[in-house]
Amino acid sequence: MMQRKSMLSYLNKPSRSAYFFVAPSILLLLVFNITPLLASFGLSVSDASITLNQISFVGLDNFTRAFSDARFLNSLRVTLVFSLLEVPLQAFGAMVIGALMVKNNLWNKALRAVFFLPVICSATVIGIMWRMILHSNVGIITYAFSLLGFGKINFMNSAQTTIFVVSFLSIWRSFGISAIIYVTAAQQVSPSLYEAAELDGAGAVRQFFHVTVPSIRSTFWFVLMTRFAGSLQIFDIIYVTTGGGPNFTTESTVTYVYSRAFSSGGDMGYASAMSMVLFVFIMLVTILMYRRMIREG
Amino acid sequence: MKSLSHRTFGRAIAFALAMTLLLTCLSSAYATTAEPITIKFWNSFTGADGDQLVELVDRFNQTNTDGIKVEMDISANFADQLTSALAAGTGPALVLMSNAMRYQYDGYLQDVSDIFTQTGMDKSDFIQSYLDYCMDGSAMYLVPFQIVGYYLFWNKDLFTAAGLDPDVAPTTWDEYAEFAAKLTDATKNVYGSGLCYNYPYQLAHVIQRFGDLSVTAADGKWQANFAGNEGYEKFLVTFKKMIDDGVNPVEADTDPMMMAGQIGMTVSGPWITGGLDTADIKYGISLLPEGEAGDMNSVEVLGFGVPTVATDAEKAAAYRFIQWWNSEDANGTSPALEWATNNGFPAYTYSVQAMDSYQSSEKLRITSSADPSAPTDFFVDSRFPDTGIMLFDVLAPLVQRIVFDNTDVATALTDAQTIADGVVARYNQ
Repeated sequence: MMQRKSMLSYLNKPSRSAYFFVAPSILLLLVFNITPLLASFGLSVSDASITLNQISFVGLDNFTRAFSDARFLNSLRVTLVFSLLEVPLQAFGAMVIGALMVKNNLWNKALRAVFFLPVICSATVIGIMWRMILHSNVGIITYAFSLLGFGKINFMNSAQTTIFVVSFLSIWRSFGISAIIYVTAAQQVSPSLYEAAELDGAGAVRQFFHVTVPSIRSTFWFVLMTRFAGSLQIFDIIYVTTGGGPNFTTESTVTYVYSRAFSSGGDMGYASAMSMVLFVFIMLVTILMYRRMIREG
Repeated sequence: MKSLSHRTFGRAIAFALAMTLLLTCLSSAYATTAEPITIKFWNSFTGADGDQLVELVDRFNQTNTDGIKVEMDISANFADQLTSALAAGTGPALVLMSNAMRYQYDGYLQDVSDIFTQTGMDKSDFIQSYLDYCMDGSAMYLVPFQIVGYYLFWNKDLFTAAGLDPDVAPTTWDEYAEFAAKLTDATKNVYGSGLCYNYPYQLAHVIQRFGDLSVTAADGKWQANFAGNEGYEKFLVTFKKMIDDGVNPVEADTDPMMMAGQIGMTVSGPWITGGLDTADIKYGISLLPEGEAGDMNSVEVLGFGVPTVATDAEKAAAYRFIQWWNSEDANGTSPALEWATNNGFPAYTYSVQAMDSYQSSEKLRITSSADPSAPTDFFVDSRFPDTGIMLFDVLAPLVQRIVFDNTDVATALTDAQTIADGVVARYNQ
């Protein structure tokens, strides 16, 4: 009884009871984020088989190996190219589309739903669907292009163009979520700003550039940051559509990490080392963008 | 008629009661030896064949009198799931996996070579070359479940249109290339050959016909055979020429084209027949043409395995399930037979291959027509622990460099040898 009383009085201070309320979140973070991260770091300095039954410490050997592995370096390049294609197009494109769907009328609501549909579809379904649609011989879009006189375009099997196709698929899939975020942000902009701009003779385009864009800058940085982090981890769409081909021109870092860990070799130590390299890169990019977002906010 | 005395009648009743009691005790004693047990059964059969597997497992659960319940978990992430479970010291009592995959779980699979003595299954009924695939010395780690081979499929209508006999398949690879050229009709979007540049399983079955196995054992050490392999060189030159001539499309997946009637010949497994039948394509099947490397029956053997986490009781229950799978019932059928006839995979036992319903299937007759004593190794010596890495890290890049980079074939083979040497060196240590 005494113990319970002293416990209650201890927790009575707001600063202390706060710990009590955040404890579940901290516990979940520890179990599902911090522990796997530490385990991954442990594996990255080990020679570990897929079943982890043989583990030996190898120091930084896996990291040295990674930076002399042409396929890993190629995967970093592919990931970067993919991100540079996907992120700006998505961040700016979604902003424009979002600005066109700000008003809460029926038409805009329907459009938002249409844009959001791919977000709730599984990557596997999307991948298989697009693989068929863009198939070099039986794809409907390929056929349509050939009718328009473009010849037979091999969208999914060209070492020069497939990376662009995969980037497009990724944009198509996650575009809706970015657009909805922009819509929500734009709806928070005070109508008086638009009224004032209108009185000053600004048309819709000028209102977009001089009122909407400056008002949702922090949202823009948020979208940029989350999309960049997401695109650097791209896996599912590539795995389902091209498997990293043709000739590794779409093999992202995570796809390569997966193949090292599970498809062939079962080299968990090496796969973890490559994951750590990617993790550090994503963390640095995220920190830089986060700081910018806070400044803008 | 002499009437029974009261004493004799009483003795008869007592005897009858005693016998009834004895029989009751015996039957209850038998029932208690078969205590109910549930075993987990994991595999990756996520396709239509998975539905059939579910149906068969349900049938076992409903009909077996040993109190065994098989709880099946079919997962597309089977490998990840099994790896995590085994690393954590848990997992299923029964799995289905490829022989090529089993080396990844070295030390996590039990020796199941005693299944024949424990269940009474006839070992001599199993085709020895398939059993050999599952063995390591005297130990056996998998019991054959499915034999995955690749075959030549051709479109009979396209053969007729090209002036070829629709019932005669090419018997050599030179003939294959010749037929493919005749079958190609760019105006109708028809390609003679449907080999995929990024389908290592298909490519491996073909390339080994030209240049034999990519990894073999020599003087107790593994040896890679890429550089200077004339057979491989011939295949790569032929494949590249077919692509450059527009005879073979630059495609990672030609099955939809085969089903659309745009491919004259392709190399695939029995699973393609479902799509071809649905698309109403008139097709022929044959064994793969023989190449310079001679007669071979390259297959991948999928089998039942019992992980080390299974207890003795669970292992016995798993054995019972495997026995049931291979046992003929009163109707003259067995799950193994049903599986073979429904999915088109050749049976691994002589008894199933001899059954009428099996023999009545032309597909099965053809896929089972390979010489069972011909070498069954698939791309590497079947004892080499890592088929996957040779397929995905050596063969796939090799072919893609030829197709997309226009790399000189000899140079590409030398580079492939360097990568393969690194792989085998790891296993030679």
